[in-house]
Amino acid sequence: MMYRAIVIACLWLVSACGSGGGGNGGAGSSPTNVLTVTVGGSEICTNVNSPCTQVTICQPGTSTCQTISDMLVDTGSTGVRIFGSVLSIPLQQEVESPGQPIGECQFFADGSALWGSVQLADVVLAGEPAVTVPIHVIAATFAGQTSTQNPCNNPVETDPQEAEFNGILGIGLLTHDCGTSCEINDNNNRYFSCTASTCGSIAAPLSTQVQNPVWLLPSDNNGVILTLPNVPSAGAPSLSGSVILGIGTASNNSPSPNISTFTTNQDGSLTTVYNGTTFPESIIDTGSNGYFFPDSTLPVCPIPQQDFYCPPAAINLSATLFSVNGRQAPVPFQVANAASLLRTGNAVFSNLGGPSPSSSPTFDWGLPFFLGRVVFVAIEGQSSTLGTGPLYAF
Amino acid sequence: MWVYTALATMLIHLTVTTPVWAVLGQTKASVERDRAAFGGQLQSKLAQGYSVETITVGGMSIKEYVSPDGTVFAVAWKGAGVPNLRLLLGTYFDEYLDALAERQNQKPRIRRPLMLKTANLVVERSGHMRNMWGRVFIPSRVPPVVSPKDIQ
Repeated sequence: MMYRAIVIACLWLVSACGSGGGGNGGAGSSPTNVLTVTVGGSEICTNVNSPCTQVTICQPGTSTCQTISDMLVDTGSTGVRIFGSVLSIPLQQEVESPGQPIGECQFFADGSALWGSVQLADVVLAGEPAVTVPIHVIAATFAGQTSTQNPCNNPVETDPQEAEFNGILGIGLLTHDCGTSCEINDNNNRYFSCTASTCGSIAAPLSTQVQNPVWLLPSDNNGVILTLPNVPSAGAPSLSGSVILGIGTASNNSPSPNISTFTTNQDGSLTTVYNGTTFPESIIDTGSNGYFFPDSTLPVCPIPQQDFYCPPAAINLSATLFSVNGRQAPVPFQVANAASLLRTGNAVFSNLGGPSPSSSPTFDWGLPFFLGRVVFVAIEGQSSTLGTGPLYAF
Repeated sequence: MWVYTALATMLIHLTVTTPVWAVLGQTKASVERDRAAFGGQLQSKLAQGYSVETITVGGMSIKEYVSPDGTVFAVAWKGAGVPNLRLLLGTYFDEYLDALAERQNQKPRIRRPLMLKTANLVVERSGHMRNMWGRVFIPSRVPPVVSPKDIQ
């Protein structure tokens, strides 16, 4: 029950929750649009290259709030997901019809899945005003299901220690986690209507889907900026950086004139070309612990570190990123011996790389991509001085 | 609306008698049963030395690869979600689950694309929230003319 102590409920008045929310940044206070991100040094977010932050969740329309720490900052997903076991305040269950709560199954590329209910919450990011948004309350036993027998037909996460986060803050390129596909298809295998013990796949209107809270902000709603410092080649025990809300909406989030923008396709994918192979569904993802791409010339580490490459010496590589509108840029990166890196006990590495399936359409630019860069993530359909999202810029 | 428990009950029942819902490693006839279960559209395509049955359903494209002897030797998917792997993998589902659980119990738990090799299967998954990709094949059942690169 260690996590109880860490995310212990703080019942606040709304005025305190949002730091006033009105942007009255007095001397010494943080800007209202900055979330502090840390990698390493936490008791829950213990995994290497795992950036985490905290958010405040409130019962909709009330002053009953709770601050949740150890939220994985994830530009590769959309929406707020929190383990029900760490929530001590009641939220508002989304229903298909009276007595039929809505559940969701969320799959991730690593083979994991999250099962739980969809509930309406007020979400407070930094000092911004609260936004009312459907979130995913993770609970393997929601609607009489279990960690092994559930509508995901996949093992689902049961607790924060196992998952190594209290929740996920999905602030990627997209507004809704599934979008039109789940709105028009009732057999999408993601949204479900449940009774006490049975669940069936349903079409979910956009308004019911789990959403990126950033796009619902009254201002600062067109995207986010990730700013994380670089680390030495042997890594660092921890680091601190920022998620800045909004692009070109305040004095602290204006893009520099020489920044390059990379518009993605409607799913949020870019093309990467590496060693002559094209990866049309590539992502730039703080939620991935390293660079993941296939290269049969790089030795994979021995078990149990087979998720990473172990070249005898650090190797300098390069791949080319392509936007959908033809812009391209070479991106140099380094992959070092992961076994040596992990032996240091450090938690942040700029040169951690590993294999991915050779036939996979995805080149996965994980957290190392963000170290030492300022990366803009502009949300679909939202405009900024960088153009209309979805796009990345750096 | 596709009722999970009803199908699960049928699945358990049928597994006890004959694994007609099992697809991977089973006959081509099971593809049509899959299509009916998923409620999707089915398209067939002949390739050199094998055929591909594509089920389009719920924002996903599910491909089932059939060898000349009529055996489904691979399945692959792409799209907004992940199909019901219990249905798609049939009798191989538990082998997949066991291997996945073993990997998920390793620490640190790395968030990366999935690559698993079991006694009988190769399992690969990648992608992101609106574009998931994956494939499972039985290397010993892949016809000699087929390259694993063809399965995607």
